[in-house]
Amino acid sequence: MIWIGDVLVSQGEGGVYNERILGGARVWDPYRSKLSALYHAGTGIELTRSMRVLYLGAANGTTVSHVADYVDVVYAVEFAPRPMQDLLEISRRRRNVIPIMADASRPEQYAPLVEAVDLLYQDVAQPEQARIALQNCSFLKTGGILVLMLKTRSVDVRKEPAEVFKDTLDILQSDGLIVRESVWLAPFHHDHAAIVCIKPAG
Amino acid sequence: MQSYWFGDVKDGSCILFIGDPNAIVDRVRSISASMDSFIPLDWEQAVLCGACRDRTDYIGKLQAVCITAAERSIREQYSRKDAELLQMVRTLDEIDTVINLLSERAVEWYLVRHPAFSRKYRRIPAPVIIRTMREKSKGALGRVAGEIGQLSETRTSLAKEVSARANEVMPNTSALIGGLVAARLLSQAGGLLLLSRLPGSAIQVLGARTALFAHLKTRSPCPKHGIIFQHRRVHNAPRNVRGKVARVLAGKIAIAARLDYFRGMKAQDFLDAAQERIDSVAKSDEP
Repeated sequence: MIWIGDVLVSQGEGGVYNERILGGARVWDPYRSKLSALYHAGTGIELTRSMRVLYLGAANGTTVSHVADYVDVVYAVEFAPRPMQDLLEISRRRRNVIPIMADASRPEQYAPLVEAVDLLYQDVAQPEQARIALQNCSFLKTGGILVLMLKTRSVDVRKEPAEVFKDTLDILQSDGLIVRESVWLAPFHHDHAAIVCIKPAG
Repeated sequence: MQSYWFGDVKDGSCILFIGDPNAIVDRVRSISASMDSFIPLDWEQAVLCGACRDRTDYIGKLQAVCITAAERSIREQYSRKDAELLQMVRTLDEIDTVINLLSERAVEWYLVRHPAFSRKYRRIPAPVIIRTMREKSKGALGRVAGEIGQLSETRTSLAKEVSARANEVMPNTSALIGGLVAARLLSQAGGLLLLSRLPGSAIQVLGARTALFAHLKTRSPCPKHGIIFQHRRVHNAPRNVRGKVARVLAGKIAIAARLDYFRGMKAQDFLDAAQERIDSVAKSDEP
């Protein structure tokens, strides 16, 4: 990852969402992007030029555009038409963003389009976030990494965020994933946690 | 056999699919993959297949297909009849908010200029005050009052359009509770498909989100009604049966919404029976 002092940046064509430019690079704001918050609040994973990424819940493509600056290709899945219009605009300007309008909980719909990936990144506001992640693990290579941005409030507003966090970790581990890092994204995002897992061999 | 966007792969051999991006989109939509036996695609198969020259070519072609697919899906979603109604009713409710905010502020301003003016004991309807303000005020205040008047006219005509469109898009729900309220339910649910999928119990409290979550989180009582309170049968019902009326009405709306989505035509038999049932509940005084 590229840091200028303590500012996380990415190298790419600027002006996507009026982001600040610092020394010719695009500033990646942790208050706007949960992935950037993960790099500030925890370790995260090193994005490299050879990586292929499946990104679930791409929304307007703010974070997608930064990830695309670092990696080979991003398969960006988004369900709603309105944010998809913005995401399409980004795809037209970035050769390595593949927009897919589909429901992340129905991976069979986009299976014919997506190759095996090194990183599965998920940021969806659904109650069954853990299940959606597990369904999409078929796209993940052995040794590949899952980054799950857990919106605890979307899972169950009645439960304590810490309880939802623990339940989600249990679900992921019981399916054989190895949790490498789990961290709350405060102060950048409240009631949001990031979980980084590895898909083991076999 | 595994079917991918560029062709079918079986035992290492590959049948290339030939067609423009639109034809490939049709193909992708028709493939029904099963995730159980799914093997993620390998882009090099596409090269062997003759679909592309190299990695850059592969990504370029795939991107063109995916952009075409997404553009088509967006167009399909927006061409649904309820998509515009949704924006219309949300605009209507927002104009209401703007008119109220602006009127309050303008009246405060007017009071500073005319300290003797008061609305107390006089029951002046808002449009009359606005007109007086426009006629008696010089400069910007007069113009602001003028703008409020204009907005109110826009609001009236938009409300008529919303009702008319709701009658067309959701004939049964509109017949049951009126076009405006039907459109507001649609807006809260996010679309006709989503509304038709809601159970009656959810429709009953649509629009009472704060109260509902307060109920789920704390021990406060559960809300009896949301938007459907705007229906005369609910707000005119005696307090002790209001919850029951709301519940029965919501159940009928759930059926009506499904008729609207799947049949799209008025079902008079259903409407008559539903109306009768709602009326009988509203008249009874057993909760």
